Amino acid sequence: MRRKRMLENLDQDIEDHIARETQDNIERGMPPEEACYAALRKFGNITRVKEDTREIWSLGWLEQLIQDVRYGLGMLRRSPGFTAVAVLTLALGIGANTAIFSLINTVMLRLLPVREPEQLVELLTRYPGEPRANCCSWKSYEHFRDQNHVFSGLIGADDSRFHVRGEGLEPETVEGEYVVGDFFPVLGVKPVIGRLIGPEDDHIGAAGSAVAVVSWSYWKSRFNLDPAILGKRILVEDVPMTVIGVTPSEFFGLQLGFRPDIWVSVAAEPMIGHPSRLTSGRMGLKLMGRLRPGVSIEQARAEMAVLFQWTVAEITKTNQDPLLRQWKIEVEPAGAGFSRLRDQFEKPLLVLMAVVGLLLLIACTNVASMLLARGAARQHEMAVRVSLGAGRFRLVRQVLTESLLLSVAGSLLGVFLAYFGANALVRIMASGRQIVGLPPHLEIHVRPDVHVFLFTAGVALLTGVLFGLAPAWNAFASDPASSLRESRGGGETRFGRLFGKSLVVAQVALSVVLLSAAGLFIRYLSDLKHRDLGFHRDHVLLVRLDPEHSGYEDERLSRAYQELLERLEAIPGVRSATLSAGTPISGAGASSFANVEGHPERPEDRRYVSINWVAPKYFQTLGTPFLAGRDFNFQDRGGPRVAIVNQAMARYYFADGNPLGKNFTLDRDWKGFGADMPYEIVGMVADANYYEIREAAPRTIYFNAFQEGRVPSQFELRTSVAPTSVAPEVRRTVRALLKTAPVERLTTLADQVDASIVPERLIATLSGLLGALGAVLAAIGLYGLLAYTVARRTNEIGIRMALGATGSAVTQMVLGDALVMVGAGLAIGAPLAVWGKSFAASLIPDLPVRSAVPIAFGALAMIAVALLAAYVPARRAARVDPMEALRHG
Amino acid sequence: MPTKDEKDRIELLQGTLDLLILRTLRLGPAHGHAVAKAIELNSGDVLQVEQGSLYPALHRLIKRGWISAEEGTSENNRRAKFYRLTAKGRQQLAVETSKWDKLAGAIARILRPVEQEGKP
Repeated sequence: MRRKRMLENLDQDIEDHIARETQDNIERGMPPEEACYAALRKFGNITRVKEDTREIWSLGWLEQLIQDVRYGLGMLRRSPGFTAVAVLTLALGIGANTAIFSLINTVMLRLLPVREPEQLVELLTRYPGEPRANCCSWKSYEHFRDQNHVFSGLIGADDSRFHVRGEGLEPETVEGEYVVGDFFPVLGVKPVIGRLIGPEDDHIGAAGSAVAVVSWSYWKSRFNLDPAILGKRILVEDVPMTVIGVTPSEFFGLQLGFRPDIWVSVAAEPMIGHPSRLTSGRMGLKLMGRLRPGVSIEQARAEMAVLFQWTVAEITKTNQDPLLRQWKIEVEPAGAGFSRLRDQFEKPLLVLMAVVGLLLLIACTNVASMLLARGAARQHEMAVRVSLGAGRFRLVRQVLTESLLLSVAGSLLGVFLAYFGANALVRIMASGRQIVGLPPHLEIHVRPDVHVFLFTAGVALLTGVLFGLAPAWNAFASDPASSLRESRGGGETRFGRLFGKSLVVAQVALSVVLLSAAGLFIRYLSDLKHRDLGFHRDHVLLVRLDPEHSGYEDERLSRAYQELLERLEAIPGVRSATLSAGTPISGAGASSFANVEGHPERPEDRRYVSINWVAPKYFQTLGTPFLAGRDFNFQDRGGPRVAIVNQAMARYYFADGNPLGKNFTLDRDWKGFGADMPYEIVGMVADANYYEIREAAPRTIYFNAFQEGRVPSQFELRTSVAPTSVAPEVRRTVRALLKTAPVERLTTLADQVDASIVPERLIATLSGLLGALGAVLAAIGLYGLLAYTVARRTNEIGIRMALGATGSAVTQMVLGDALVMVGAGLAIGAPLAVWGKSFAASLIPDLPVRSAVPIAFGALAMIAVALLAAYVPARRAARVDPMEALRHG
Repeated sequence: MPTKDEKDRIELLQGTLDLLILRTLRLGPAHGHAVAKAIELNSGDVLQVEQGSLYPALHRLIKRGWISAEEGTSENNRRAKFYRLTAKGRQQLAVETSKWDKLAGAIARILRPVEQEGKP
């Protein structure tokens, strides 16, 4: 307030001052005009004096900032079209980056909410040709725990699902986990109420170990946070357990995507498991260790490599798999939890991060070139302000403030877009088939946190400065004299024009890289989708029943299923029905060693053979060609053991490729019958992929699911109509025949195959989308520059046309301009794209990088887009009326 | 009005302008132009004051509360803003003056140490 009053009369004061000095000068005998000049000279720079005086009363930088911001907002408001396009462009760029980064943050960076998470490491084993796994036997765990000198604690956990009921509780099945006694103490997790499982509960089989800890969300949703939960008796898999405590709300376990609600001591497993996995030695523990202070991860690796030899020696006593000798243990940092999900999505996310980074660069260049064109129009304003005494740095600050305003607005909108984007991406990620070691439904919560906030703020600042640099430099270099003299429009320097063009060239180059990357990924995806898998994925419905509580014993179930198959085949639209133990590309299946009669193998040459149990008509239903021999039939039940092999198996074991009539045995007998009883090969089918879409078809043996043991509950139906359209009738049929065996899961084979290539789909879909977006941005940039150039050259074009140039010649001139820029962009972009391909190939192994098609596609797409963008300005140039142009020029 | 040669003029040290203004206003309230003139005259035209720089200095002193400003009419009945030394300003002048004396003495001693010792 005081400031306003003080400054109110400043102008008047200064005027008075000069008037007095002039008067003095006149009295001293100077002519009036000279007296006035002398007074002004003596006073100095009036603008500077006013600014300096105002500065005294100003609140300093904050006030100037507010002033700059207010002025900047005014400028942006005055050109709403430009502002909208710039903000939207930046929002797309920044939003895409924020979305991908928030996923990377969630999946890879966020640390577990436990004590000193950076000390945590996990122990992973790697079997040749398979992804690494964190799964260790109880005996090995005990050995590692008791013999190591590198961990201050080594803990293990085993995921499970528990059927829980109790007084006042709806019976339900929840995610749970068996944990060792040290689990919570080593993690440093403290209970919200009660106590957590500790070493005192870790006495195998003791009644005292029948205790359970529940999660905060379970406590809240089932008990409404009632402290009376402590001491409550619940039935876990029908075993009475006492609830002793609740974990904190931020603790979700050690694996992102898996949120256990109940933790039970491993010592209680023998009471729950029938048969017990712990006492039978089949329990697999995920191991996590806390490094002793001062112990490096390399030391831990060295020691674990030694301790692991004990495990290998133990296993090879009973297992003759030669590849076990190449079995290795790895120790990896696990501050962010177990790596299962990270391993799956790390590389796709990094590729996507690179892609969105490119998009942001294009957006920056685009906005920079728009600002530059606008800056040329504002040259006059700048020049006036400089000549009025505004400091150059003040102008630069003003221009940068405007850029930052744009980027802040862009990032606010971008964060909004990112929120939806990230959630959509999570849905795609979670749409995949079950990852081994994770529950079928991933629970991933992408929550913005400090990291994401800092990232976005940093990106916004960086982009604001990046695209604001060119206009800021222009402002800094603005020369009042020349600019004012040349009036409007013409004041653009040769350098400025060249710079504007080079920005467009850069956009084209970046877009080519982006488009060819998109082309590459889309082609890769399409390769995967059209790869011959040895079966026809379309028109197959997969139906899984749950006979667990049906009470049917093997014989009765088998008869019931046989009848069910007949009824299913009678449904209109169903061409054939069958069942099997495993379905293709589900990521899982069985394997064993085979001993083929007359074909002895050296021990080091032995490899696992894939195994599946299938019903009659399996190959017909899936569309796998039958090459020789006969299919299974229901009469095989109780008869001599029969098997069908695939061509890969036949080719490997039998010189003439004819397996029919040959016999073999399995190393481990899966069905519990005499291992010595041989199987006779009665048929041969074509190769088909089994576990994975990418691998070659493995040597495979098929057994008759109806021959012996319990028949599997996975049904496959080939339909002549859309597979899901028969689903209601299938459910009705099942319910009518087998009331106690409900449909557990119903999906299509095509969906299952698609679900196995989620990371690839994620990359292809997103990069395609972003590539198109990048091309559109580059087109806008090119269009803007050409339109601006044509407008500026209207005069020149008018003269040319007056001198006899035809409309088409002018069109050609403008298009030629565009093509030169695109050509330069392609020349720079193509080598970059080649380099980008090798970068992508380093992350995704079997990418079709040799092909030049994606780059050619990117280049052609860019040329097409450029011609389209240049068309309108070119037409406008051709329609220039020479008379009009010359009159107003 | 006689003016000294340009080369004989001395540019003001940072902050000394404030002191000169305070000293000038001790003689009574004055408007801006009068202050400028007084400084010029009293220094025998040795000190070069770009008159405009007076105004930021005046406002700085007002902000610190050492002087106050009030509207009034000047000798020839024209509107003018008069600046007046406040009690706080008077104190500050004493402080600044003694500081200045010390500084001037110290610099003088450094510049002419031999003469000082030669005349005990």
